Amino acid sequence: MVDRAFAQRSLDALLKRGFQKARVRLVSSDQHELQAEFGHTNLLRTTHNTELGLLGIVDHKQGSLTLNNVTDEGLPDAVENLWAVTSGSRADPANDIAEAQPKRIFKAGPEAADLDLMYERIAEALDYAKTRYPTLKMGNASISFASRQALFLNSNGVDFDTTRSAYHASLMFTARDGTDVSSFNYTGVTLAALDKPLVSHATTDALMKQTTEQVRTRKVQQKFTGDMIITPDCIGDFLGFLLGSIGNQPLISGTSLYKNSLGQRVADAALTLHSRPRDLVGGYFVTGDGYEVQNATVVEDGVLRSFLLDLYGSRKTGLARAATGGGAWVVEAGATPLDTMIRDVKAGILITRFSGGRPNDKGDFSGVAKNSYYVDNGEVSYPISETMVSGNMAALLTNIVAISSERADFGSGIFPWVRVSGIGIS
Amino acid sequence: MSIRETNLTVYGNRFNAYTELRLQRNRSTQISLLNGDVVSNTKTSDGGVSARVFKDGVWGFASRPQIDNDSVIATVDEATRNAALLARHAARPEIVLPRTKTFKESDFGTKRPRLTQQQSIEFLQAIDAHIAKTYPDLKSRSVARLDLDMEKHLYTADASEGYSNTTRSLIQVRMTTTNDAGQPVEYSKTFGGRGQFEDVFTEPAALFADIAETHRHLMNKRTAVSPRAGLHDVVLDSDLAGILAHEAIGHTTEADIVQEGSVAADYIGKLVASPLITLVDFANTYRGETLPVPIYVDDEGVESQDTILIENGVLKNFMHNKESSVLFGVPPTGNARAYTFSDEPLIRMRNTAILPGKDKLDDMIASIEDGYYLLRPSNGQADSTSEFMFGVTLGYEIRNGKLGSAITDTTISGVAFDMLKTVTMVSDELSWTCAGMCGKKTLIPVGMGGPSIKCRVHLGGV
Repeated sequence: MVDRAFAQRSLDALLKRGFQKARVRLVSSDQHELQAEFGHTNLLRTTHNTELGLLGIVDHKQGSLTLNNVTDEGLPDAVENLWAVTSGSRADPANDIAEAQPKRIFKAGPEAADLDLMYERIAEALDYAKTRYPTLKMGNASISFASRQALFLNSNGVDFDTTRSAYHASLMFTARDGTDVSSFNYTGVTLAALDKPLVSHATTDALMKQTTEQVRTRKVQQKFTGDMIITPDCIGDFLGFLLGSIGNQPLISGTSLYKNSLGQRVADAALTLHSRPRDLVGGYFVTGDGYEVQNATVVEDGVLRSFLLDLYGSRKTGLARAATGGGAWVVEAGATPLDTMIRDVKAGILITRFSGGRPNDKGDFSGVAKNSYYVDNGEVSYPISETMVSGNMAALLTNIVAISSERADFGSGIFPWVRVSGIGIS
Repeated sequence: MSIRETNLTVYGNRFNAYTELRLQRNRSTQISLLNGDVVSNTKTSDGGVSARVFKDGVWGFASRPQIDNDSVIATVDEATRNAALLARHAARPEIVLPRTKTFKESDFGTKRPRLTQQQSIEFLQAIDAHIAKTYPDLKSRSVARLDLDMEKHLYTADASEGYSNTTRSLIQVRMTTTNDAGQPVEYSKTFGGRGQFEDVFTEPAALFADIAETHRHLMNKRTAVSPRAGLHDVVLDSDLAGILAHEAIGHTTEADIVQEGSVAADYIGKLVASPLITLVDFANTYRGETLPVPIYVDDEGVESQDTILIENGVLKNFMHNKESSVLFGVPPTGNARAYTFSDEPLIRMRNTAILPGKDKLDDMIASIEDGYYLLRPSNGQADSTSEFMFGVTLGYEIRNGKLGSAITDTTISGVAFDMLKTVTMVSDELSWTCAGMCGKKTLIPVGMGGPSIKCRVHLGGV
């Protein structure tokens, strides 16, 4: 439970010290986690924390401080520390805090953790893996329940009280048959309730099954340019370049490939990408700079509809502030069933995990196709290893051939399978 | 309560099973200038108390942010209850963890007066102004300071005790220009290492020569050519050899990864690399030099030992915590480390390096007719199969034994236990980096070191 009166005293103390604008974020969080290693539940973890985030602006200079467990006795030191951090900075007229908005209380998620059910679900998943896939070796597997109450106040009158809780499950596994070993694979889902077996969520069961098939792999026979079907498990890696290029730093510095692309086509018309923090279990209510978050469409029918600038980025560039703080990504389903999508590929790969170097500012990328398959004449042929894929992230989005009608819901994002052409495979 | 001065031994009477009690505070500073503007100016302090209890074959863990008597007692009691609660569901045959007793203190805090935030910003501004004035051809520049101090005080049921203040300070310089097609071309370099800012950075001008070198490479990248995809002879410079040691071999030889199915499980005592390769995870010191991330006692109260992973090409050992050491029947190696106060310790590397050989870098380059000299990594990832991948942000062609054009950013990959058998030359120098953060459930700072090695790897490209 956050101490509202303490948050207000913190804001008052900042203004009294001489800050012309100030922001306070007080967070109280509790987490319970059950963890299994090597197929046995072996750790119960309970953590509590309180965190105070202070931001002050004086003469257009801005500083911030994040401390945990600050009490009334420690508050004067924290305020003085922030004053030293801020007054030593440099003036920038773009520094500001969110304007006044209607006071709101937000709440989502279960009231409390059901520890018994958490234990049952993780034991059930371990048992399922052991009986269904005997060659699968479970690594770290966990279910956590995190509850977080946050209070956002600022000197313009912002007052948001948010409480959000959710379960999160993650599973990591490798398969071993004799001395043959697969690549590891993993998945995670954020859930409002533990009403179904963990393996029934998103692509979990499929990944387990595929991992057992991947103990014996083959190299792709020859270097070629072909199609790549990107699974929901790793489509985020291929959207990341676009999303990373439309935020503060690349737009302020003018180095973004997309700096002049608002309202322009940046992807095939099949791609529509939303940020839905208000809808998803793994979403949020308030942006990092203190605005009530809104769902937003970033790419609509291939056209870039919004940058991801916050208040500072907006004031610095003169462009609109985004209604979303990003995340909670949802790609709209397409019209092509996955089976048809695979059947249409003459030569290519089905990629489930991408292990690659960070793309450069131009978007050029290369990396290893992990836990992936060669697709030959419309059929998933064999699991591959030591296979590199390369191309350009910006071109990849314009080379989308089809988007599947099926999607996987991870709680923090909802994604389909996406087929792209023109990928270098070696 | 001061982390260092708090008497933790008085809480020993609350322990009714094997227990670790830890006070910890991480402090960080981040200041970023983007084209001269201060875009980030923040300090963070995150700390508290944690306890971990081992009973009936399972662990209970708890943490709280308050560092006071009541909080310590409540945390120990909650961790004890958690172990008992879990044991009701999942008790396993009792494992007797090795008893270790040591007392170690290490403090890498500066003795110099600390810079104020204003002085820190002025330091970065002097670097930024130098770059802006000296290199007007840049489209964008950023200069950032990133510090992390990790202060820990540990006491265990074995009466092992450790205090450490492990510090590091980094300055990252990033430059962007455009090529003839108007496309952005970037290069960044991180300077600094172990110690607090005042000990690591004396004056801005001390970095100017390295910044000039960084700019020279950036200009070379303006006309970079794409590498040819496929298997090639390469010389991996020390930074890349260091990340190879960490990612490709190190992770596969962490005992928990071995238990999960790592291919290395079957390789102890076998030749897994060229006899030129010896690879060690050092605890704190090499040839009298204190290493980037010196660990004297780990977060289970074990005195940290150097762990020889590969000796003259033969796989010798894995890295362990207490529990895995029992399962493998070997002594613990002191590799159990936690990042924040609310994290349980995991098996983590400390300072991992391939040891130097006898060759000269120039001779290694001269020996390659058609290949690449690869200098700087970005990110990297390993696998249970020992298949690895690193991003490469700086490299040059080698043609007829001479360096040629720079190459565009690329990725290299291979199967480490195969690739290391292709090593034919190892240079006679060793250099360390301390800028890396290893990610394995949680982050943690690690040191990586290496000579240059000549080998064959798979490059991504056209």
